[in-house]
Amino acid sequence: MDALLVTQSINVVYGIATLAILALGLAVIFGLLGVLNLAHGELIMLGAYCAWVTQAHGWPFLAAVPLALAVCGALGALVEWALIRPLYRRPFDTLVATWGLSLLLRKSVEALFGLGYKSVSMPLQGTVRVLDSPYPAYRVALIVLSVAVLAALILWYGRSGTGTRIKAMVGNPELAQALGIPVKRLAAGTFVVGCCLAGLGGVMVAPLVPVQPYMGLDYILQSFFVLVVGGLGSVLGLLSGAAVIGGANGIVSALFNATYGYFTVLVLAILFLWLRPRGIYARS
Amino acid sequence: MRLATPPLQLAGLAAVLLLLPLGLGDYWSYQLALYYLYAVAALGIGLCWGRAGFLPLGQAMFFGLSGYLSGLALIAFEGSVWLIVLLPLAALASGALAYAIGTLVFRQRGESGPYFSMITLALSLLAYQIANSWDSVTGGFNGLKGIPGLPGLDSFGAAYYVAAAALLLALALTTWVLRAPLGILWAALAQNERRLVLFGFNSNQLKAVAFGLSGLLAGIGGALYAPQQGLVTPQLCGFLLSADLVIWAAVGGRGRMLGPVLGAVVVGALSSTLRVRFQFWEVLVAALFIAVVLLFPQGIVGVFAPLERRFASRRRRADLGAPRRGGAQDAARLVIDGVSAQVGEVKILDRLSLAFERPGIFCIIGPNGAGKTSTFNLLTGELAAAAGRVELDRDAVTGIAPHRIVRLGVGRKFQIPTVFTDLSIADNLCIALWSGRASRADLLRPRLRRWSSPMLAELRQRYGFLADATRKAAELSHGERQILELAMALLTEPRLLLLDEPCAGLSPEETQQVIEVIRWASRRLGATVIVIEHDISLVKELAEEVYVLHNGALLAQGTVADIQSNPAVQAIYVGAQK
Repeated sequence: MDALLVTQSINVVYGIATLAILALGLAVIFGLLGVLNLAHGELIMLGAYCAWVTQAHGWPFLAAVPLALAVCGALGALVEWALIRPLYRRPFDTLVATWGLSLLLRKSVEALFGLGYKSVSMPLQGTVRVLDSPYPAYRVALIVLSVAVLAALILWYGRSGTGTRIKAMVGNPELAQALGIPVKRLAAGTFVVGCCLAGLGGVMVAPLVPVQPYMGLDYILQSFFVLVVGGLGSVLGLLSGAAVIGGANGIVSALFNATYGYFTVLVLAILFLWLRPRGIYARS
Repeated sequence: MRLATPPLQLAGLAAVLLLLPLGLGDYWSYQLALYYLYAVAALGIGLCWGRAGFLPLGQAMFFGLSGYLSGLALIAFEGSVWLIVLLPLAALASGALAYAIGTLVFRQRGESGPYFSMITLALSLLAYQIANSWDSVTGGFNGLKGIPGLPGLDSFGAAYYVAAAALLLALALTTWVLRAPLGILWAALAQNERRLVLFGFNSNQLKAVAFGLSGLLAGIGGALYAPQQGLVTPQLCGFLLSADLVIWAAVGGRGRMLGPVLGAVVVGALSSTLRVRFQFWEVLVAALFIAVVLLFPQGIVGVFAPLERRFASRRRRADLGAPRRGGAQDAARLVIDGVSAQVGEVKILDRLSLAFERPGIFCIIGPNGAGKTSTFNLLTGELAAAAGRVELDRDAVTGIAPHRIVRLGVGRKFQIPTVFTDLSIADNLCIALWSGRASRADLLRPRLRRWSSPMLAELRQRYGFLADATRKAAELSHGERQILELAMALLTEPRLLLLDEPCAGLSPEETQQVIEVIRWASRRLGATVIVIEHDISLVKELAEEVYVLHNGALLAQGTVADIQSNPAVQAIYVGAQK
């Protein structure tokens, strides 16, 4: 097979996989709780900073994972209690409150670490051969890990009792509450899991991008548009959204420049708003 | 929320703005002048968020656009008289762009939440990228430099007064619009968009106009920023200023026009000095923003709200007669022919055929889930028919937007009383009067709030509380809300009136009154009145003819006696068999 074609194909897969994993936390919170967490990008940013802090202290890269989970999980629990819970069923106010939270996180990180770019060095150097073409090892690991996380989440959600209880909560919170399902705790848990996934995504992309306080902005927009295009409530939707947004952005940016790529994503999002407001795979 | 005498307030504010530089000295005057311009833009956010109920997150884009246009014009035509035309054009360009974006994004009804906010946020990042990379026009990262000041007004002091004048102009403009019907409709829209649409208003266009106006305000700020600062950089379009504008509007108080101004001037000017001296200042501001959103939605100006109420005008001006509503006047002729419709997997209407071809009162009855309310949704264009035809006066109305159908003379009252609770009773009634009567230009005339009609006078005689102009609809009891909404539906003088359980939750006396009003209105309007009702004793009193729906289709039709003796009807009500 043509080596260039192989590399390009893996690039596409890589793009979709990272975008899907970055949007996953937002998808969980938005899809299950109906809360659009505008601080999602900042949680990714915090995850990336965790990776940087880990390396700056000379700890192994993998230590960033528990650190990010702890930081984002604790923050998620606090935020759920202070901002989200009082505002359930007031989606507009939640939007504004989490937007305020995103400012707070950004400004806090800026005050603590400064505005400058931090770089996280690649934990896996070198390349592996995929179908006889060399490809950066870390990116391959990232693809594998993304698939693994997604698969684990699907399996757990589909098979576990907690997954079933969450479905009950999403379908009819009052009835679920009446049946003795601890809806409040379940919702809080779902929110925390979404935040942790964002942090994990942040750790994973940290070695590939410049780490800085404003990096979250791009991620929240891309993640949101992925959900808009793909629709809420299914992994297939998440992947197809990531494919459309990541694909369009990647191709147009490569052919012209990043500004056009951005513009294309926006036009796509507006078109979807008109033609398929509930995305490609809407939950019925 | 009625302000005492806005001209007087504005005059007072003008005096304050005039005198401030005398007390503050050059440095602060210079700083204030800048924040006046930001305040003009923040006003636009207050308008969209505090009134019309949607939040633009990328407002700096419009500030920056007109900043660049104005800067380019000032450089190209330095000292020319044409700048008098070109600078306003720069501001108008921003307004036009905002209106266009609003029209595009608000095309889907009901969209004013996350979607809109995220698209405006993305657009402002895009604007930043364009400004940053289009070197030949925008000067790239370093921006447009050496922009000359306004001819003859480029001294320190003059720049201050130009900015102060712009702020006063913007305040006068927004105060006027908010007192006009347009402002009332925005407030109504933010509370219940569906209800407003079913009074025949195009909510998408109303939102786009609000956004356009906010873009114009940002444009005015930007057009004057260029000559004042002499420099326009990509940051002016970007995320940071957009975020600051939202913060200022929120902290100052988005609901009143003075709020965003106070926010921009106080928080903004404070930030400009404290940001440098105190590392965590901006973190504090962000925390303050969250606190305001959660706990004090009224912001700083909310503190003065009680004062405002004390000075509120109690003077009632003479009523003005509303014009007759246009279009056909006689009772509507309605035919539903073989309509099927479904939502998701559930079939809710199944080859339903009904016809109402003369004025009178008709009742639709049927068990829960029979498709009664769905039939109304079909008639007002909110439920799409998968098959079949709906005809109003022999014209098909299938696929026509709800507000257009309503304008053909269809009035509707919901099952759960739906009024605009944050508005006064008078404004609620006015919205109904404007329906189908007010032209677009009329919506800018504050005097329309004094409209009245003979029907309104008669309704006020029957129900005294309708004459209590200043009371808010939120203070009404359930029964009074039912009456208010019924009165609103009648005031539109519909030719086809749809009433969904108009007596639900009313006491026996209230029920008798409502029945009498429905009879009276039916005679007076000569309209076709269709009532959904469960209570068979009401049906007996009201209905000339009864239609029984079951499983989305017509089961029986006839007089009350016919229906009561019909075995099929008895079966579904007793539940013998399906």
